Amino acid sequence: MKTINSEHHLDLTKEDEKVYSTLNLGPTHPATHGIFQNVLTMNGETIVSAEQTIGYIHRAFEKIAERRPYYQITTLTDRLNYCSSPLNNIGWHLAVEKLLGVETNKRIDYMRIIVMELARISDHLICNSVIGVDSGALTGFVYLFEEREKIYEIYEELCGARLTTNLGVVGGFDRDFSPIAIQKIRDLMKELPKVLHEFENLLMRNRIFMDRTINVGAISADRALNYGFSGPCLRAAGVDYDVRVQEPYSSYNDFDFSVPIGQNGDTYDRFCVRQTELWESIKLVTNALDNLPEGKFNTEVPAFFMPPKEDVYSKMEPLISHLKW
Amino acid sequence: MEYSILLQELKNKFENSILSVDETADIFTITIAVEAVKEMITFLKEQHNFIFLTDLCGIHYPEEDKELGVIYHLHNLVANKRIRLKTFVTKENPQVESLVSVFSGANWMERETFDFYGIDFVGHPNLIRILNVEYMDYYPMRKEYPLEDATRSDKDDRFFGR
Amino acid sequence: MNEKDKYTVVEAPEGYSAPGFFATTLDKAVGLARKNSLWPLPFATSCCGIEFMATMGAHYDLGRFGAERLSFSPRQADLLMVMGTIAKKMAPVVQQVYEQMAEPRWVIAVGACASSGGVFDTYSVLQGIDKVVPVDVYVPGCPPRPEQIINGFMKIQELVGNEPLRRRYSPEYKEMLESYGIKIDK
Repeated sequence: MKTINSEHHLDLTKEDEKVYSTLNLGPTHPATHGIFQNVLTMNGETIVSAEQTIGYIHRAFEKIAERRPYYQITTLTDRLNYCSSPLNNIGWHLAVEKLLGVETNKRIDYMRIIVMELARISDHLICNSVIGVDSGALTGFVYLFEEREKIYEIYEELCGARLTTNLGVVGGFDRDFSPIAIQKIRDLMKELPKVLHEFENLLMRNRIFMDRTINVGAISADRALNYGFSGPCLRAAGVDYDVRVQEPYSSYNDFDFSVPIGQNGDTYDRFCVRQTELWESIKLVTNALDNLPEGKFNTEVPAFFMPPKEDVYSKMEPLISHLKW
Repeated sequence: MEYSILLQELKNKFENSILSVDETADIFTITIAVEAVKEMITFLKEQHNFIFLTDLCGIHYPEEDKELGVIYHLHNLVANKRIRLKTFVTKENPQVESLVSVFSGANWMERETFDFYGIDFVGHPNLIRILNVEYMDYYPMRKEYPLEDATRSDKDDRFFGR
Repeated sequence: MNEKDKYTVVEAPEGYSAPGFFATTLDKAVGLARKNSLWPLPFATSCCGIEFMATMGAHYDLGRFGAERLSFSPRQADLLMVMGTIAKKMAPVVQQVYEQMAEPRWVIAVGACASSGGVFDTYSVLQGIDKVVPVDVYVPGCPPRPEQIINGFMKIQELVGNEPLRRRYSPEYKEMLESYGIKIDK
């Protein structure tokens, strides 16, 4: 008895069933990165249909978040997309600021853009190098992970942690960018283009890579919209939609950047869209860092702001708000 | 396309089903009766271009009469407008029509809502648990069930302040 | 500088040597060979998996310790590295993968979630993989830094180097495996 997973599932008659074989691409497969299971119906080596089982990493974030204070939920959001934790943190802070009606000044917005684009660079570096690893090209992986180490060093300057960053507070940041951090960001933006060029030389016009990824996993724009795709996968399918342009948050509308769109929605298009977004992010970070305005690094929302230690030891209200955390 | 014009058209077509309108929240929200859900969403998708289902989730308000709710977020990409539809059902009779024929993405979202809240989607091709283990016999996100695993035997109450 | 000083080689175990031969116990010789050529199985489910990928990268190179060849098939692996949160749905899979590994096999639990459930004290997360498989080394951290993962790996190397050859056939070992519900082949 076959259960139906989608409207594209095949209804096989008894004779047909003898032609197709079943293969279990179990939950611990390296290409699925160990999180979901595919039971494949195959005709020789071509996959004809598949049925997925997910939930092997269900950690009940929503249930935990029901009973935590707002600032403790930031640590939970780190672990939602662990390849780019600051993006999740800042997304959560933006949501809480919307509820509170807090406006952040330009300096905080630009600092947030720098951090978010660094996280985007870090995430796309993983995605693109791992496409190479899954098809057997391990060299690109090793080169790009060296650049991620530099991004980790920048996170350590900003917040103290490498991967699960818990960066910032509601209303801004808890400390300003130090001169070391700014220097590290500038150095990285100078070096990243060279490494990206090397990586592109390795993979982008490589005959083997192109044969393995062009027309593989192609999704049309209609299907992508029907399924609710968003992000680079939707843009690779040909839909011109980027939240940063349509509903700008955190002063993205001050910047001029282009959004890459693909044509076929196959793996090669997704790879190229992410690669182009890397170049755009480098431009955004450099622009934001060059035009960083002066101002406070925190809007001092009363329940979420940690007062500086000199005030805590000498004045009454900072002492009270410090102990209330 | 203004929300007031949209609301007028919806009121003309579905007079009795719109229970309340809330424009103070960040997204234009309407609460509707459960019988009109599929028709209204199909109308919004085909006539007003709300072709993107951003989210379909459940919620549980234990103090209300109709405790369980399903919330739909729709998005019109061209005019950049969002709309939120809420519908509530009772615990004894949690039936809502399934949207799988309208949006393919609703398939897994409805399975998740069933898994966590126990809402039965009529017409869903494969309504089984998606994230939890198959032998689980309760609906974990309902407010009466605890967060922690009730069968744990190795927790020492002295260390946990109980 | 002398040519030999540029390279560090593995220390030879204790033994008696004279011109032409070097005598030591079989345990130590086999342990030396095994510990410098462990083939890990990276069972990476979440954030600790990304830190493991950083450990395998060029900066913190785990390949220096002989673990360059990652094996994704349990039949060819020595060391099961469980990294990341293991949910109750995944627990039978971890046990099945452990059963498929051939003796001698070791398990390292990387990260707080694999050691004890971590941040996630919920209905769906297994509170530590030592509920389903016997664990040799626990590496705490959320996520642990690559240096900590390497430290855990070096502790495993210590265990491997000092293990008596008859340990896996002893009745205490079989009893321990049965207490986890792990089926033994013989």
